[in-house]
Amino acid sequence: MASRDVIQYETPLSKAFRWFSAVFLAFYVVWTVLPLFVMFMSSFKDLLEAFKLPAVGDWAGVTVFFDFTPTTKHYYELFAHLGFSTYLFNSLVAAGGSALVSVVLGSMCAYSLSRIDFKGKGDLFFWIISTRMAPVVAVMVPLYWIFRQLDLVGTLPGLILAYTTFNLPFAIWILKGFFDNVPYAIEEAQMVDGATRFQALRAILPLVAPGIGAFIVLCILFAWNDYLFAAIIGSGGAKTLPAATRELVQPQNIQWGQIMAAGVVTTLPMMFLGLVIRKYLVTGLTMGAVKE
Amino acid sequence: MAKVSFRNVWKKYGDMPAVKDLNIECPDGSFLSVLGPSGCGKSSTMRMVAGLEHITSGQILFDERPINDLAPKDRDVAMVFENYALYPHKSVYENMANPLKLRGQDASVIKERVTAAAKLLEINHLLERRPQELSGGQKQRVAIGRAIVREPNLFLFDEPIAHLDAKLRAHMRGEIKHLQRTLGTTMIYVTHDQLEAMSMADTIAVMHDGELQQLGTPREVYNHPVNAWVAGFVGEPAMNFVDVGVEDRAGRTHFTHQNFSVPVTEEQQRRVSNGSRESALRMGVRPDALSISMTKPSESCITGKIFVTELLGGDMIVDVDLDDCRIRVKTSTEFAGEEGQTCYMTVNTNKWHAFSKENGKAFF
Repeated sequence: MASRDVIQYETPLSKAFRWFSAVFLAFYVVWTVLPLFVMFMSSFKDLLEAFKLPAVGDWAGVTVFFDFTPTTKHYYELFAHLGFSTYLFNSLVAAGGSALVSVVLGSMCAYSLSRIDFKGKGDLFFWIISTRMAPVVAVMVPLYWIFRQLDLVGTLPGLILAYTTFNLPFAIWILKGFFDNVPYAIEEAQMVDGATRFQALRAILPLVAPGIGAFIVLCILFAWNDYLFAAIIGSGGAKTLPAATRELVQPQNIQWGQIMAAGVVTTLPMMFLGLVIRKYLVTGLTMGAVKE
Repeated sequence: MAKVSFRNVWKKYGDMPAVKDLNIECPDGSFLSVLGPSGCGKSSTMRMVAGLEHITSGQILFDERPINDLAPKDRDVAMVFENYALYPHKSVYENMANPLKLRGQDASVIKERVTAAAKLLEINHLLERRPQELSGGQKQRVAIGRAIVREPNLFLFDEPIAHLDAKLRAHMRGEIKHLQRTLGTTMIYVTHDQLEAMSMADTIAVMHDGELQQLGTPREVYNHPVNAWVAGFVGEPAMNFVDVGVEDRAGRTHFTHQNFSVPVTEEQQRRVSNGSRESALRMGVRPDALSISMTKPSESCITGKIFVTELLGGDMIVDVDLDDCRIRVKTSTEFAGEEGQTCYMTVNTNKWHAFSKENGKAFF
């Protein structure tokens, strides 16, 4: 195998570009991480302390930001009195349930689309993708009406179904590409070894694990961060974290401390998920087994 | 173990026939090689036996039992794929254990069988590795190992050693032949390499354009090709073909050409005159059925001019220009002719062939 090194030669331009990249990335890190940092810090501050800010241009006054007595009262309030444990549970079930349903149905559908040739396959595939192209708002009203008729409004199954409607085409789209990359010979070998078609599909699932991992993350993210479905279809019995957080903005006052704490509660599980699933996202599992 | 029979088997992709009316009987325990260039239908044939393709019409039978409608897993065949098709996420051991596991064998039996097969193939030190950590030759052994851990009806080998380097290929030819003899299992071996087919098989089925050209032992196929196509495909260096006229001189048929006029034997004369009224046909002669010299040995020799000489270690190939074509002669390394010189070749008339110009069929 040839060397994988990318040969690079230093030129004034590339040097300048490297500097530029470093500066750009530094700004980018501040841009993305600072709001999260402020949110995290503020969730442990009392309201008065949270709004203590230095004057504009007073860089030495930045220390004011770190000058506070940590308190967990916002978290206590959320879980003890505002029922956030239920909302957290709802979020987990809705996101996880929809991811699970989408993965199971999506991988079977993607497998069929990848392996079987039939008339109109291209059109069918495009149609599946096109359902994802419509903005969520556009289908909200008819979807709400249908869900009302089926008594699914305000229930977790309803929310799972709603998310699955949008996640499934996405799953099929992502997973088909991964199945296309698995050589058919591997399944043929399985079938000659004595596997049924279904067992052969199960046997190659580890080879599309990167695809499934990537999809699960994206699917859970979609459902977890969703507000529109949660507010309209989930409202009432199946309130999720974003919808519940919105309710902390009350006409009389805005509960900044609790909103920040709710933000942390909403963000942390997703960060954790990203870390856990990272190894599945590393592709290249099929390398070396099938000589092309 | 089983006898395999093909009865009028057709395979069509849409309207395109890939295999046309195939009829082969492969006795129990024998080694059948399906030989042909790429696109001749040999892989389709094998995949129909494995159950990976539907049979368009006709029947394939194992011991008189039609298997057309059986799923691959119910046919009990073991196959080695051209690209190995190992399971990349499983170790060598798990790869080889897979067919046994799928058939619900006990862990102890699996271990015993896999270890025995690994020992036979000399890969027992690799059992913990993953396929991507193996060399081509090792992968190929694992693929064979996966096939031999159980006792199937039939082995199907689809160009299993095509991707190996020349030296390893020569080694594996001997190994696979020995393995088949040891296990005594019926084997169908698909290849495009005539040397593999000649050296390993009990029976060769030569295919071209989806049609079976000739079915016979390696000796029959080599010494008595049924048509010009088979004659040209089998043998290395390839057979020389020269268009010749047919003339009667003093009661004996001669093959005539600008560069020579050679009489045929009595038996050959009978066959040519029975078979055709053609006044011209194609003469075929293998490079080793010609002897070359720098002095004229007799009147009925072929005169030509040396184009180039190629030394192949123990032998020498001499390319000789005739007036309208070029032929190759195999000779010993002592041959001293130089490029551009006139040389003389004598045909061993017991070993030459004549084919119809119209349909390529062999007269002898």
